[in-house]
Amino acid sequence: MLRYLFARRTDWTIFVLACAASLTLMLLGPRSQARAAWFLQHTLLAPAELVVGWIDRGVAVYWDNQKLRDRVTRLTIEVDEAHAERAENERLRRLLQLTERRSYELVAANVVGRSLDRLGGSLALDKGAAEGITPNRAILTPDGLVGRVERTSRHSARVLTLLHRDCAVAARIERSRVDGVVRWEYGDRPILDLLYVSSQEDVKAGDRVVTSGLGGIFPAGVRIGTVQRVALEPNGLTKEIVVKPAVDFRALEEVLVYTPSARGAALPGDFYPMDAPDSTRIQPAAPGAPGTAPAAPADPRVGSASR
Amino acid sequence: MKGIRDAAVLVVAMVLQAAFLYRFEIAGIRPDLLVAFVVYLGWMRGPVVGTLGGFLVGLIQDLDAPGPLGLNALSKTIVGFAVAKAGFRVHRANVGVRFAFFLFAMLAHDVVYFAASSLGDPWLFVKQMVTIAVPSALYTALVVLVILGLVEFFWKHALLADEA
Repeated sequence: MLRYLFARRTDWTIFVLACAASLTLMLLGPRSQARAAWFLQHTLLAPAELVVGWIDRGVAVYWDNQKLRDRVTRLTIEVDEAHAERAENERLRRLLQLTERRSYELVAANVVGRSLDRLGGSLALDKGAAEGITPNRAILTPDGLVGRVERTSRHSARVLTLLHRDCAVAARIERSRVDGVVRWEYGDRPILDLLYVSSQEDVKAGDRVVTSGLGGIFPAGVRIGTVQRVALEPNGLTKEIVVKPAVDFRALEEVLVYTPSARGAALPGDFYPMDAPDSTRIQPAAPGAPGTAPAAPADPRVGSASR
Repeated sequence: MKGIRDAAVLVVAMVLQAAFLYRFEIAGIRPDLLVAFVVYLGWMRGPVVGTLGGFLVGLIQDLDAPGPLGLNALSKTIVGFAVAKAGFRVHRANVGVRFAFFLFAMLAHDVVYFAASSLGDPWLFVKQMVTIAVPSALYTALVVLVILGLVEFFWKHALLADEA
């Protein structure tokens, strides 16, 4: 009968059988349906699931491989960078060893007296000619320029700070390299003026002011302060530039006296390493020379001339 | 050769359905490429292959779906058979005919599916037909037309050829 139906009405027979099979599956109880599903999954779909599993694993391996390749590339680049940085580090270490030989002397001195004015226009130091200090030596701190030595005695020195009318400093705007002269122009506030800057020059509030080294007394690149305000002078030719000093002159207790060698004025590069790294070409002070600074100042920002 | 092509179309349809089309879901409605495949099978290979293909595809879907076992198999068996019977000597390359066939095939499938799944609750059936079946049928018909157009444009062979 079934064979006859298949032969004569194949399409209808298959349709009816498929519908009957579907309805039978639908009419099964939940437990029977679960068993039927389990059976079908492990017989009918097992080969397909096997193939899909292989494909799935293959795809996963492919993507893992891609990710690992990317990671290897990144790590290779990082290793190359690390090698380059290591080489740079070695070069810098060699440079630092060279700077040990460059030179200037930093003579540490204590502030033992102050002027009576409120701002602190002059200071007295406990080191003098016996320690190698001579007039017109620059006085520094890790924060910046303090002033210059006015006169010395055997074991003392008088210092004119930037807040003294007789202490003018050849200065420069670090960003735009505009030159001028920094001088205190009287008043009751610890602020300085940057003079002789043309109205056409590029100076903005916030610019750092450093020494230019042009006067021959102060080494180049030492921080003086920051431009606080810029305006035009009434004559219209120059700018009125107010500079806030980097140093708090009323809180000074120790200072360093900068004494360049006979080879010329230079910035103590490891004292202000960011300011003028190539301008420190002075021979080192002889170890143990009288009046030289201690081997390593307590403030880590200061560095050491004898490092 | 036809069997390999049909199997390839099925695999592509299943992959697209499982991994791709959910990205194009609009308000919970997404195209049903497996029904479209059954329509293609019934239309191109006749009632026997269409019926068996619909039954097997539905059964596979049932094994993966949370609904009662056999519901998709029954729906797709009926669709495969009906399309094969109705689509005989129809101009398959015509876009309008294709759209109508896929649309009505989807509706027929959902009528069977929702009628069986919402047995005894006519309001639920009507609601499911209006909110799910009709939008889904329209969406599926449109997406299938786009896919067929793209495949036939790049492959230069008609998937639904008149002479087949």
